[in-house]
Amino acid sequence: MRILCILLPNFPLRCEMLTGPAVVTYSQGSQKLVLDFSPGLSGLQRDMPVQEALARCGEAVLVQGDLSRYWSVFHEILDALEQRSPLVEGADLGLAYLGVEGLQLLYPTDDLLIKAVREVVPERFSARLGLAEGKFPAYLAALRSPPHGHLILKGDLKSFLNDLPCEVLPVSLKSKRKLRDFGLRTLKQVSALPAGPLMAQFGPEGSLIRDLARGLDDTPLYPRFLEENIEESRLLSSVTVSLEALLVTWQSLLVRAFLAFAHKGLGIRSMTLWTRTWNGLDWEQKVKFKEPAMNPESALGRLKSVVENFPQPGPVEQLGLRITGLGHQCGKQKSLFDEVRAREHLLEDIKQLELRLGSPQVFKIKEVEPWSRIPERRYALMPLSR
Amino acid sequence: MVSNTGKTLCPDAFKPVNLPEAVRVEENPAGEPAVVWLGKRQMVKSLEDRWRLDDEWWRSQAISRMYYAIVCQTGQRVTVFKDLLQGDWWRQGTG
Repeated sequence: MRILCILLPNFPLRCEMLTGPAVVTYSQGSQKLVLDFSPGLSGLQRDMPVQEALARCGEAVLVQGDLSRYWSVFHEILDALEQRSPLVEGADLGLAYLGVEGLQLLYPTDDLLIKAVREVVPERFSARLGLAEGKFPAYLAALRSPPHGHLILKGDLKSFLNDLPCEVLPVSLKSKRKLRDFGLRTLKQVSALPAGPLMAQFGPEGSLIRDLARGLDDTPLYPRFLEENIEESRLLSSVTVSLEALLVTWQSLLVRAFLAFAHKGLGIRSMTLWTRTWNGLDWEQKVKFKEPAMNPESALGRLKSVVENFPQPGPVEQLGLRITGLGHQCGKQKSLFDEVRAREHLLEDIKQLELRLGSPQVFKIKEVEPWSRIPERRYALMPLSR
Repeated sequence: MVSNTGKTLCPDAFKPVNLPEAVRVEENPAGEPAVVWLGKRQMVKSLEDRWRLDDEWWRSQAISRMYYAIVCQTGQRVTVFKDLLQGDWWRQGTG
């Protein structure tokens, strides 16, 4: 499948409009990791611990990344790209894939297609475009294209891939380090290895590494699943650490959010809660509901347990929620003992009837002497309540 | 003879099922049912089966019955028996 890769290098940095040497960080649990860094800083890698990055580039300015804002900017770009092709995948921040199969009628030549795509991507992101068969070759083409330029790969990719470093492989940092430790620097070296030893060393990722190094990538394109996102947020009048105050604010946001969809008979299936502390730390938690929450009260119950279990990193000055999934009320799981209860209720009613009328009213047939030759001796009627 | 102990289990609680109902039957010379009154007079078309039941002879009230499974002219199937001790006819389901 022909795929166009749109690579927006240093996307978080460009969102922050930073010019000097800087490192954008993000938090994962208690750890701070590198999200992006200025091109001039050498020895840094994405997802590297910040301490390690600072040890290598002490002069860099540290910027706490605002992931939700970056994604919202990126989604705007993806929305614009959907004007060109219905198949748009946002694989990562600043990395999008476009399915271009069948667009020949609209754009007879590749240059026209690239021109049309470039028109919808803001200039400041200096997009690099790569067109090839498969995601990984398209990504490599975009990576190797000049800033504001493009590269189209056709035919045999061997000569193109041979000299590329192993760092371009979309595998874990651990695997990349391991490749380096084994002295494997280029894709040519990796592709020359048999599959067995690679899988023995890297597990399932070994097979992927080998295929990618040979330019084989049959990963399908995962177009964006469009869901209505409802976002509500509020800037608090003063910073607070009080859980009650946060919950009251979230409740008011929930009430406001429900106005948008409750009349359609929809409830919340999943949402993301977020806060921002006065010193710029972000807190985010995804909340999923087993059954859609059909009113603010039921949503708040679940939200409360999440907020209590995952404490805030500091005094909160802004908070919000993003509803990422809506759904209709689904069939409820009935009690397995429903019939038992129904029988109990029935017996209770029958007893009441007996008490009121003074004698048994409902009977069941009971075997007395089922073997008897005398027909009237075989069965008898017994009150149901006994 | 074993006498009836008169011992019953909660007489108000249990009710008999399939008790015989008295029925008017006209016999033919052989003593078999020829006409049965089931609301109206019905001729017996055929005798499907017959069997004799003698039981509880050790009790004060022994049981001795001659059962007939009959098909009436209308096609209705009925089981009747003659109490051989009293000489009267009864209708009873046998299922």
